Amino acid sequence: MSPSSGTVLGTVAGDLATASLDMARRFAAGATMWCAAPQWPSHAQHLAVEFVHPVIVGKRALPAVAVEGGDLVSMLRIVSSSGDLFVAVAGADEPAVGAAMRRAPAWGLRSIWIGTGARPAAGAADHVLWLDADIAESAYGGGFVLVYHLLWELTHVCFEHPGLLSIPAVGDAEECHDEVCITCSDEGRLAEVITTGPGSHARVRTSAGVEAIDTTLIGTPQPGDLVLVHAGSAVTTIEG
Amino acid sequence: MTSETTGFLYPFIDSDERDSSSLLADLGTSAEAKAVQSRQLQAATLDRFAEQIAEITDEMAARFAAGARLFTFGNGGSATDAASFAALFTRPPWGRPLPARSLVADEATLTALGNDVGFELVFSRQLIAHSRANDIAVGFSTSGNSDNVIRAFGEAHRRELLTVGLAGHDGGEMATCGDVDQCLVVRSDSVHRIQETQDAVALVLWAGVQAIVESKGDR
Repeated sequence: MSPSSGTVLGTVAGDLATASLDMARRFAAGATMWCAAPQWPSHAQHLAVEFVHPVIVGKRALPAVAVEGGDLVSMLRIVSSSGDLFVAVAGADEPAVGAAMRRAPAWGLRSIWIGTGARPAAGAADHVLWLDADIAESAYGGGFVLVYHLLWELTHVCFEHPGLLSIPAVGDAEECHDEVCITCSDEGRLAEVITTGPGSHARVRTSAGVEAIDTTLIGTPQPGDLVLVHAGSAVTTIEG
Repeated sequence: MTSETTGFLYPFIDSDERDSSSLLADLGTSAEAKAVQSRQLQAATLDRFAEQIAEITDEMAARFAAGARLFTFGNGGSATDAASFAALFTRPPWGRPLPARSLVADEATLTALGNDVGFELVFSRQLIAHSRANDIAVGFSTSGNSDNVIRAFGEAHRRELLTVGLAGHDGGEMATCGDVDQCLVVRSDSVHRIQETQDAVALVLWAGVQAIVESKGDR
């Protein structure tokens, strides 16, 4: 998958490690894992069944669900709760997965995007596990299956480290390693508009729950729009 | 979990563990090692079965040319592998679509049969309803012992379908039942590594069939 580096996984090995620890922490805190693969529905099912019905007897069963059919965004919006996990197996140009990934922060979901080919934009998901391999080899020849098998195996290794399973508090070094940390800096928080009115007000969903905000600065948004909220006001609209 | 005197021997099960850096390093190393095992098992298996795979693709291509349909089946992760294999034929990434169907796809049929006649018959009963003598049956089971998969091969063999089985471990009943024309056993004890290699074999089977169908251009 990354033959030039002399290894099979290349940098994906490290990405898998951080994603697995994050997943184990979310599961330990009660997360459900929502799995989607619009182009290859059987991958969403395979991913979910690995976690629900482990192949190794004695490993704990974890809540994972394949989300299939029509409108992925509408479905995820209604079934998911803040703190859940969203894992997609999809190309970077898969429109429904892209739309769901953009909304994941507003819904409070931790997102993992598995794919191959052109990479999604930086920051498109919390964890991007991207293979450097042919699409047929990845989708049908065991490439994606290897990635989520490893995700399952490593997640269960993390459960053997109970001291590391608490989710780092906002402001902890481990959480704030980037230049910008939206949870503890002055950045706006992402929100999805639920309803508008009365007047220049709207009810929005953020990772913290449902909030009432002022929309004077952005005009009247539409339900489903993504906005950045700062100090109780929508400061800009984000293309969703 | 550990006593004060022996706790130092087991740093990883210490609930006081706070620094994730050594765990993350171990996880990364472990992931790479497993990926290498997976890659080696794939290569060794494809090498060992080169001749058999060529026979299977020849026979499948000949049957497709004569109007065959492919039926695939399996349980759990193997059900999804069976569905992927069928999708590869009907919606190929390149080449010509060929008629194939996963017998796991229809939940009404699957639950009707499971509820009324038993889960061991959910695939064989569908083959009775759908299959013709020239068709192809491909079943996946990492143990080689899934009862409904074995029963499906029995029915398929009686009805003169080409039967191809992908198994793991020692091949189980799939390797010994006598109803599987071509049984490909992935020699490993890890269900995950077996499935990854079965997928690689499945892709090579499909590509082999495509290459023959393309070269003949007879449809």
